[in-house]
Amino acid sequence: MIEASQISKSVTTSEGELVILNDVSLSVGGGDSLAITGASGSGKSTLLGILAGLDLPTSGSVSLNGQVLTDMDEEGRARVRAANVGFVFQSFQLLPGLSALENVMMPLELHGSRDAEQRAREFLQRVGLQERLRHYPKQLSGGEQQRVAIARAFASEPRVLFADEPTGNLDTATGSRVIDLLFELNREQGTTLILVTHESRLARRCSAQMALQAGRVMAPATLVAADALAR
Amino acid sequence: MLALRLLWRNWRSGEVKILAGALVLAVAVVSAIGVFTERLERSLIKESSSFLGADRIVRSSHPIDPAWFEAADRRQVRQARTAMFSSMVFAGDNMHLASVKAVTPGYPLAGRLEISTIPFAVAAADIAVAPGVPAPGEAWVDSRLLPLLDIELGQRVQVGEKTLTVTRVVIREPDRGDGFSLFGARLMMNFADLAATEVIQPGSRVRYHWLLAAEGARLDAFMQWVEPQLTEHQRIVDLESAQRGLSSTLQTGRRFLMLAGVVGVLLAGVAIAIAAQRFAGRHVDQVALMKSLGASAWRIRGLYMGQLLLLAAVASLLGMLAGDLVQRAVVAALAAIFPISLGAAPIGAYGIGAITGLVCVLFFALPPLWHLPLVPPLKILRREMQVGAIRTWLQGALGLCAVVVLVWLYSGDARLTAAVIVGLGAVIALSALVAWRLLHAGRYVGMRAGSVWRLALANLQRRRGQSVVQILVFAIALMLLLTLTTVRTTLIDEWQVQLPADTPNHFLVNVAPYEVEPIQRLMTQQQVQANHLFPMVRGRLTHVNDAVPAAQVQREAEVLRREANLSWAESLNPDNRITAGVWWPDWPAERGVGVSVEQDVAAELQLALGDRLRFSIGGLRLDATVASIRSLEWDSMRPNFYFLFSPGALDNYSPMYLTSVYLPPQKKLFINDLLRKFPTVVVIEMDKVIEQIQTIVAQVSQGVELVLWLVLVGGLFVLLAAVNASMDSRLQESGLLRALGSRRGLVMGSLWAEFSTLGFFAGLLAVLGAQVLLFGLQAWALDIAVRPHLWMWLLGPLGGAALVGALGVLSCRRVVTVAPAVVLREVG
Repeated sequence: MIEASQISKSVTTSEGELVILNDVSLSVGGGDSLAITGASGSGKSTLLGILAGLDLPTSGSVSLNGQVLTDMDEEGRARVRAANVGFVFQSFQLLPGLSALENVMMPLELHGSRDAEQRAREFLQRVGLQERLRHYPKQLSGGEQQRVAIARAFASEPRVLFADEPTGNLDTATGSRVIDLLFELNREQGTTLILVTHESRLARRCSAQMALQAGRVMAPATLVAADALAR
Repeated sequence: MLALRLLWRNWRSGEVKILAGALVLAVAVVSAIGVFTERLERSLIKESSSFLGADRIVRSSHPIDPAWFEAADRRQVRQARTAMFSSMVFAGDNMHLASVKAVTPGYPLAGRLEISTIPFAVAAADIAVAPGVPAPGEAWVDSRLLPLLDIELGQRVQVGEKTLTVTRVVIREPDRGDGFSLFGARLMMNFADLAATEVIQPGSRVRYHWLLAAEGARLDAFMQWVEPQLTEHQRIVDLESAQRGLSSTLQTGRRFLMLAGVVGVLLAGVAIAIAAQRFAGRHVDQVALMKSLGASAWRIRGLYMGQLLLLAAVASLLGMLAGDLVQRAVVAALAAIFPISLGAAPIGAYGIGAITGLVCVLFFALPPLWHLPLVPPLKILRREMQVGAIRTWLQGALGLCAVVVLVWLYSGDARLTAAVIVGLGAVIALSALVAWRLLHAGRYVGMRAGSVWRLALANLQRRRGQSVVQILVFAIALMLLLTLTTVRTTLIDEWQVQLPADTPNHFLVNVAPYEVEPIQRLMTQQQVQANHLFPMVRGRLTHVNDAVPAAQVQREAEVLRREANLSWAESLNPDNRITAGVWWPDWPAERGVGVSVEQDVAAELQLALGDRLRFSIGGLRLDATVASIRSLEWDSMRPNFYFLFSPGALDNYSPMYLTSVYLPPQKKLFINDLLRKFPTVVVIEMDKVIEQIQTIVAQVSQGVELVLWLVLVGGLFVLLAAVNASMDSRLQESGLLRALGSRRGLVMGSLWAEFSTLGFFAGLLAVLGAQVLLFGLQAWALDIAVRPHLWMWLLGPLGGAALVGALGVLSCRRVVTVAPAVVLREVG
C-alpha cells in the first residue's frame, strides 16, 4: 500500500544543512497499521507528511497505492490524497465556524459526494455524537472534538489514514477511548493506518512499529523495522 | 453550489459579515452619490438651460438665414426665435422706453415663462405658467409698465405703427439675465407682429436670438454644422459664456461631488481590503485542511472566487438598493426646501455603483485572498509554518490603482487623477515614516509613564509594523474627512460670500451729473442702500501703442469690435485686485492719464504695463498708459469696468453715472418713483436672475452636505474594520493578561490607551496630510482658495484619539465581560 525507499529530508539553515530524515525505507501493506515513534524532533511528523504526500523528500521515493508520489507535482499528489487519504491531527483541526455535522460533511462535499449529509450523520452516530450534530467545536470537549475529527476522517472511507499524535491533546482516559474508536473503525473499514505517537502503549496496538532517532531508523532488533516490514 | 454553501457557513460564522458590510456600503455610497449627482447635475443643466431659455442660443445682430430654420427642423432640433430692441411705447400721452421682445411660438424652449392677470403678483396661486406666447395683436408686459403708462390690463399700447392689447403681466422670464444691454420695462409681443410695427429699419439695434434645444449628441452635431457658417455678427451662447460666475460655481460643485465620491470609494475600499485580509488570515487553516484532503489549488481558487463573486453580486445589489433608498430620501428632503424637483436618473447612473462594486472586489478584496490557494498542505501539520500573504505595499499600490481607475472613470480628468495620486502617494509615504518615529518616541515616553500606558505603548512598539499600518489606515480616513469638511466649508462660504442676501439686484445707468445728488437724496429718503456712483462714458479702443491692432487680435477681442463702458475711480471695488502695476495714489502724475485694464482683456489684447492705448469717445481722442492690470469678480453684481482711468480723466467727455442698488421685493416700486422723477435714467433689473442663482447655489450646497455625510459613514466603517482586524491578537493578549490576574481596569485602560494613542498619532498625521492634500487640490483641482482652519489641529489628534479609542474599547469590551478561559479558547 505504502512504500518508501531511502527517503532523506534536509533543510538549509543559517548554521548549515540540517538533516531531518536520513535514508528511511519502509513498506506497509493494505489493512496493516504502523506506529512511528520517537522523541520530539526525531523526524516523525516530517516522515508522516512525506508519506501522506503533503511534503517531498530531498531524495528517495514514496509510492502510495502504486502511484509514485515523488514523481508528481502538487496537483497530482492532491488527486492521490483525494482518492486515498484521511487525516486525524493532534490539534483536531476542526473549522471553528462549522458545526460538527458540517465539519464531517466538508471532505465529502469536496469530493462531490451526493449524500454527504447522510453519511456524515451516520459517522457521527458511529462515534457517539448523534446528539451533538449542530454543536460548534468550541462547544465540544477535547475528546468530542477528536471524535468529530475521526468521523470526518473515516466518512470519506480512505484507504490510508494518517494520524499525527491523535491523543496528544487528550487526557489518558479520553485518549484511550478515542484510540479504541480509531482502531475499531480501522478494522471495520480495513484501512491502512500510519500513526505517529510517542506513547508506547498506543504504538503497541499497531501491527508494526518503527522508532526514529535523529532522523534515522533505530535498530530493528527492538522494533519491527523497515526490513521486517518489507515482506 | 459548494461555494454557495461555504459562503453561507462563513456568513453564519460572522467571518464575511464585515467584508459584505463594507462592500454594501461602498456600492451604496457610490450609488447614492452617483445617482444623486446625476440627478442634481441633470436638474442643474435643465435649470441652467432655463437661464438661456434654451440649450444653446445663436445670438446675432442681423436676422438669421431662414434656411437654417429648415435645417434645424430636418435634424429634429427644436427652435424658437426672439428679437429684442428698445422702443418707445405709447399709451395716450404717456410713453416709456421699453425693452421689447418679439417671440415666436415655442418660446421658451427651457425654463418657464410665468404670467399673471394681477400686476405685481407674488402669491403662487395668482401666477401661471404661460401656455404659449402672446397671440398676434396682444402684448404681455412687466407689471411696472402699467403704472408708468398709467394703464390697466385690457388697454392698448402703441409700439411703432402697431397697436397691441395688454392682456397679461410677465412675472418671470427664464432668459431675463442675458446681458445688460437692454433697459426699461419688458413688453413681449408675437413675432408675427414685428414687421407691422415698422420699428426695425436698416441700422436699427436689434438683438436676434435663435433658441435651440435637443438631446446632447443631436444638438452637438447640429452646432457643429452651424458653427462654420457663423458670420462675425453671430455667436453661439451656452451657459458657460452666458453666466460666467454661475458656471464656475457649478463646475467647482461638480468637481467637489466627484472628488467626494472617490473619497467615499477609497474609504470603503480600505475597509474592504482590511476585512478581506482578516478573512484570508482566518482561512489559512481551512485551506490547508482542504488541500490535505486532496483539494487542488485550482479547486480552492474556484471555491473562493465563487464565494467572492457571489458575495459581490449580492452585496452590489443590496448596495445599489440601499444607495437608491438613501438618495431618494435625500431628494425627498430637498424637495421640501426647494420648489425645483429633480428628474429621474437614467438607468446608467446605477451602473456606476455596480462597476464600483466590481472594481472594489478586484482591487481591494481579491488580492488578499489571491495567495490562499498557494497555502501548502503541509501547513496542516506544521502550524508554525509561515505562509505567503500579500505585502502591505502591494495592497496599497493596488488600492491606488483602483483610485486611478475610479477617478478616471468618474472624471476622465488627467490633472485631477494626477493630483489625487501624487497627494495620496506623498501623504502615505510621509505618514508611514512619521508614524514609525512617533511609535518609537511613544515607547520612550511610555517607559516613564504608569503601568497602563507602559503596557499600551509597549504593545504598540512590539507590533510596530502592524501599528504603522493601522495608524496609516486611520490617518487616511481622518485626513480625507478633514479635507472634505474644510473644502466643503470653504466652498459653501465662498458661494455665500459671492452672492450675499443683499447682493445689488438693480443697476441704475444713464444718470446725468446733475441727477446724481437728487437721486442720492431720494435713495436716502426711501432708505435704499446704494453703492458708489461711477462716472461712465462709452468709447471704443482704437489703437494700441499707436497702431491699429492686428486683424487676428481684432477677431478675438470683442472689446475692439464694440464700444466699451469707460470709467474712473479713486478707490477700488472690494472685488477688484491689482495683479500687476500700481493703483492711482502711486501713479506718477507726470506720466499723464493712466488706465487700469481687466486682466482677461489685457491678455486678449496682449497688453503689458506701460503700453499706450488710444480711445475714441464720441469722436474725441483720449490717450492713456496702462498703469495696472486688475482681476475682478463679474458675478459680484457690482458695476465693473474693463477700463478704469485715473481720477478726473473722463471729466471732459460728459460722463453719465452708473450705480447698483439692492432693493428688497417690497421696495420694488421705488423704481417707478425713480423713473417718474428721472425719466432718462435706465434701470436694469437683475433681481430674478440673482434669485435663480441663489437657488442653484443652495441646491449644490445641500448636495455637497449630503455627500459629506455619506462619506463620513464610509470613514466610520473603515475605522471599525481596522479595529476589528486586530481584534484576535488583542483579545488573546488581554485574555492572557486577565488569566494571569490583571485587573479589569488595567486591561481596559491599556486597551483604551493603546487605541487612543493610535488615534492620536493618526489624527496628527491626518492634519498634516490634509494640509498637503488641500494645497494640492487648491493648486491643481479646485478653483478656490482653501483656508485651512486652526480647529483642524485640535480636532484631528483629539478627535482621532477619542473616536478610535472609543471604537476600540467598544469592540474589545468582550475581553472583560467574558471569562478569560472562553476568550482564550475562542481565539486559540
